Amino acid sequence: MATDRMTVDADPGTFTFDPAHTALVIIDMQRDFVEPGGFGETLGNDVGLLQAVIPPLQQVLAATRAAGMTVIHTREGHVPDLSDCPPAKLNRGNPSMRIGDLGPKGRILVRGEYGHDIVDELAPLPGEVVIDKPGKGSFHATDLQELLQIGGITSLIVTGVTTEVCVHTTVREANDRGYECLVLADCTGSYFPEFQAAGLAMIAAQGGIFGWVAPSTQYLTALDSLSPAAVGAVTDGEGN
Amino acid sequence: MSLHPVLSATAIAHAARIGPVVADPYPWPYDGTVSAERTALICIDWQVDFCGPGGYVDRMGYDIGLTRAGLPATARMLAHARAVGMLVVHTREGHTPDLSDLPANKRWRSAQIGAEIGAAGPRGRILVRGEPGWQIVPEVAPVPGEVLIDKPGKGAFYATQLDLVLRTTGITHILLTGITTDVCVHTTMREANDRGYECLILSDCTGATEQGNHTAALRMVTMQGGVFGCVATCDAVVAATRAASEGDHRGD
Repeated sequence: MATDRMTVDADPGTFTFDPAHTALVIIDMQRDFVEPGGFGETLGNDVGLLQAVIPPLQQVLAATRAAGMTVIHTREGHVPDLSDCPPAKLNRGNPSMRIGDLGPKGRILVRGEYGHDIVDELAPLPGEVVIDKPGKGSFHATDLQELLQIGGITSLIVTGVTTEVCVHTTVREANDRGYECLVLADCTGSYFPEFQAAGLAMIAAQGGIFGWVAPSTQYLTALDSLSPAAVGAVTDGEGN
Repeated sequence: MSLHPVLSATAIAHAARIGPVVADPYPWPYDGTVSAERTALICIDWQVDFCGPGGYVDRMGYDIGLTRAGLPATARMLAHARAVGMLVVHTREGHTPDLSDLPANKRWRSAQIGAEIGAAGPRGRILVRGEPGWQIVPEVAPVPGEVLIDKPGKGAFYATQLDLVLRTTGITHILLTGITTDVCVHTTMREANDRGYECLILSDCTGATEQGNHTAALRMVTMQGGVFGCVATCDAVVAATRAASEGDHRGD
């Protein structure tokens, strides 16, 4: 497909991508992690830090959809009988609330529960991929790699929460598999400001050892340069 | 409590128990104690290219004193693991000589920073299997019978037989040493944690090219009740290792 490569000013250098072979990945923007009154807040975390991710991510999601690009959502969670939850994850540190316990928005981290689903502002559209993952990484024990290969995806725009846990683990997995990752700094969030900064710095360290980091405005600027005709070529698959 | 120097290897081999280890954020492991037979010591990427004079990291201009800092404690941990009968695993990051397992972006990035994988370096072709720079440094070298994992990425699980080896040998708990803390050690710990292994990273047996990344990586492990496991020292593990007879006295 003869589409122009987009360029984004990023750290540690220019990130280039072809919209036809790039997916936006939105990691774990689930009610239980992000919303007031959810599981994350009951653990004493300031969910305001994660709420701040929603407005810029809404813009990124809208522009990505308008460009006809692939959108992938992930959710961390387990089947209701918890048979896919390792004992170490379930019992570690004697938590006051365990996975599977009844929380303020349903059973904690259990698939199908209200709190496990994605916030309304970023709800998936029909036809968008939703990856349900039992771990922090989006590749382990999921279909993600197969879906990317079938879709011809080679680059990922990575967003979501939390930066140093699920976002970082997914970027590390993707990088080892040869995918180019651009992390949008303001579209990722952490309960801990020091880890937000350290997590982003680690990605771009040593010449971009895991990938690239940029503010979402730089990505949106790149998409703006995509003409409607080019978008059509992307979505129709013309020009092969 | 007996420390391993006063116990002969034969007295405690295949019978020692480990834990609870004084660790952050909880006494490790989560299930109280674990048999040495179900515990693996994984030593990550102690290669000349990363911590030897003239290797890849040295050539990139980093202070290899930082990546070498964990060698003495790792050598002590290795001796202990061998004495109590743990499975010992060594990993090496590297690529086949034809570079057919080297993703294009990894090659491009290494070239950007002046240390292109596959190019001639002071210790042979950089990060190519079989080259002098790819070998494990003598201070923590493998002995016959130990597992060697050759990995093309940062994580030791991706595109390797590590998970198969650990499950086949009945390993449920993992101790981590190696370099660098924030890159290959952390990636491997995250992969192991997602696969259900109970992990302990040994702070004095790791190191990074930047001290700030080392410190941040260790702190990340401890948040949210131990999101990836725990952090402890080599000596804490040694101190928490008991011979079977002591375990029997405790009614195990």
